[in-house]
Amino acid sequence: MSLDELALQALNGLSFGALLFLLASGFTLVFGLMKIVNLAHGAFYLVGGYVGIAAYGATRSFLVAVLAGATTAALFGLASERLLLRRVRGQELPEVLLTVGIALIIADACLAVFGGNPRSIPIPGPLSGSVRLGSYAYPAYRLFVIALALAVGVALYLVQHRTRLGALIRAGVDDREIAEAMGINVPRVFTAMFVFGGALAGLAGVVAAGLLTLRPGADTDILLFALVVVVIGGLGSLQGAAVGSALIGLVDAFSKVWVPELSYFAVFAPMAIILMVRPAGLFARSRP
Amino acid sequence: MSAPRRALPAVAAAAGVAGVVAAPYVLPSFAVYLLTLTFIAALLAGSVNLLAGLAGLVSIGHAGIAAAAAYGVAWAAVRDLGIGAQLAVAAALTLAVSVLYALTTMRTSGIVFLMITLALGMTVFGLALKLSSVTGGQNGLTGVRRPEAVEEWWQFYFFTAAVLGACLLALAVISRSPFGLVLRGIRESPSRMTSLGYSVTTAKFAAVVLSGAFAGCAGVLLVWNSEFMSPSVASFPRSALAVVTVILGGTGTLLGPLVGAGIVVAGEYWLSSYVERWQTVLGAVFILVVLFAPRGVVGMIADLTRRSRKEGT
Repeated sequence: MSLDELALQALNGLSFGALLFLLASGFTLVFGLMKIVNLAHGAFYLVGGYVGIAAYGATRSFLVAVLAGATTAALFGLASERLLLRRVRGQELPEVLLTVGIALIIADACLAVFGGNPRSIPIPGPLSGSVRLGSYAYPAYRLFVIALALAVGVALYLVQHRTRLGALIRAGVDDREIAEAMGINVPRVFTAMFVFGGALAGLAGVVAAGLLTLRPGADTDILLFALVVVVIGGLGSLQGAAVGSALIGLVDAFSKVWVPELSYFAVFAPMAIILMVRPAGLFARSRP
Repeated sequence: MSAPRRALPAVAAAAGVAGVVAAPYVLPSFAVYLLTLTFIAALLAGSVNLLAGLAGLVSIGHAGIAAAAAYGVAWAAVRDLGIGAQLAVAAALTLAVSVLYALTTMRTSGIVFLMITLALGMTVFGLALKLSSVTGGQNGLTGVRRPEAVEEWWQFYFFTAAVLGACLLALAVISRSPFGLVLRGIRESPSRMTSLGYSVTTAKFAAVVLSGAFAGCAGVLLVWNSEFMSPSVASFPRSALAVVTVILGGTGTLLGPLVGAGIVVAGEYWLSSYVERWQTVLGAVFILVVLFAPRGVVGMIADLTRRSRKEGT
């Protein structure tokens, strides 16, 4: 493999990693605040993506597609949190199992409404071209996804560490009871965070519709990647999600070229190794 | 009042065994087939229950272990190897996969354990799908035949019942053994177990591998039952179904998985003739059970009898 091809594969890996970051950041932020492992995150991604495709078909606008997908997924998040998760707040296992039930229902509803055929979005005008990199032409959309993930990551970091809202969230993470005693409406912060996590999943779904294809089962496929990313990075850590996404994106791209039949295993191997060395993940804060 | 009360479990067990033996003679073959499916599902749920009930570790990837065993049998059968070789390959694969599960999860607990088993189950599913030179990919592996001694449907029914019976007995023994007590101790307080000199990590490792052995038995029965193997056996809904079976029946109870499997198998077949969307029903059952019946059927019956006993005395 020549140097150019190597760089090309690295870019492929990083752009997939960027998509993973959009998905995993919402997943890990929700866990960081609420201690909920939201296994319906992949289903939110799928439904957001499908609705985005439908909205694109109706309006021919990528921006509308993104807004529609993110909003739909956010609404599913709102309904899940308000109607179901709230009833078992604080009980780790029932919470996870509820999200499993939600995931199964949403995935099946997607199959019923959108059918079993793979779907995707035609890449919108200005992004459909390619950019010259050395002697190769590289799809502009993939570079756009990397830029988008970087922007989202920086924005999330700044909100978390530089704003009043971020301070509220960090207070809720660190000590829920004291935060409530200080007059913070923690349940409302929780709901908002869960809805926001859903919106990020929906955004990832629409972005993915231009990068991959969406089909039944895509929700659990991508959920596996998100799980591996946050397990590697450390549950609840934004930086961990960034590093894990880039790592897994690269591993995925190169393993697909070098050992195509074992590509799933190649993704899983780094997780297994890191778990044996650092069970809480690379960037985990001290956990009880 | 105590004598008849004490005899009740023995009478119930005898009646249960008599019912299982009589079933093929009185029930139509289709019902017996459903019973066979129930027993296999109960065995897989039993292996999940061993971890969930004793150690409080909920695995949502156990279908992956069962699938490994089933692929072992199918892989050997396709290459015209005998029953002994099929079982040996299945056992080796089950052990390898279980050890992998155990090594990656032995330092975790709670939701992290659940997440990692989920990822492992999906990895097995992905491998089954992608590694088509070994697994046949989406087309699966055909050409599996049951051993001659259990070829007929009623023979296989008795065989499945016997395997389940033996496994339930083994699970009961494990649950009451010192090892079972160590696992309970770990569930209640890992730090106290450590200070008492137990290695929590080693105990978890052993528990996962042990549980994997039961899941492997279920996998062998599964592939002998369908005489066909496809990746869907390892899929996420299958693992999720095993968990809901355990909770529905009653986590930590010996007969819970059997009761849960009965409800799930009967529900799946009864409903699939009315509604197309089985997965939605499964999701709804998940939500309803978690919200309204977290102790499961057997757990609720135990609560009721305990209450009536208190009122009686």
